[in-house]
Amino acid sequence: MTERKPKNIFVEGPVLPSFIGESIQQHSTKTNIGAHSIFLGQVRADMVDGKSVTAIEYTTYQEMALEKMHTIREAIFDKYTLTCMHVYHSLGKVAAGEISLFVFTSSAHRKAATDACAEIVERIKSELPVWGKELFENEEYQWKENK
Amino acid sequence: MNINILLFGQLTDITGIGTITMEDVADTDSVVQNLHRRFPALATSKYVVAVNKNIITGNTLLTQNSTVALLPPFSGG
Repeated sequence: MTERKPKNIFVEGPVLPSFIGESIQQHSTKTNIGAHSIFLGQVRADMVDGKSVTAIEYTTYQEMALEKMHTIREAIFDKYTLTCMHVYHSLGKVAAGEISLFVFTSSAHRKAATDACAEIVERIKSELPVWGKELFENEEYQWKENK
Repeated sequence: MNINILLFGQLTDITGIGTITMEDVADTDSVVQNLHRRFPALATSKYVVAVNKNIITGNTLLTQNSTVALLPPFSGG
């Protein structure tokens, strides 16, 4: 298989719906694709002790995260027959209701795309050194924990 | 020997800074003990240690310009 270089997956602020639309559009010329699977992570306005989360501020250990993401990418391409795979994760502030994670896999038939997409999301959540700080209306905050 | 130490997430609430340089530390246990003396709240915090971007599971010898990172539980996505 071809050697893939580490890609930067990080974007400043939210992933915009228009960007997601354009990403889908860009695949219309790849007519060997029969299925796309997309996961979108959206910031939830959780209530904690009567206060609601207004935004999550993301930070990362970028060098390590990109190396780890590269390892995940290679493993996923080895395991599933994918045409392509794209991952975008927000850094900085993302308001409740906005998108902070966009995972996009494509394959000839649906199973590879859906299984790969689900596995990528799980691995991102458990293996990437990224931290979310949940911000409340009153300038208080708490550090997010992945469940 | 200069060792670069990186702290992330909630750990920076304790230390107030994200980068610390330490001299004359031979291994990761010495780094951790030194940090726990300076910032006692770190001792009760949950984190894993990475040396040069690889998570370690036991005491690890350091070399000139090693980077030691303290990583609290991940919460991306």
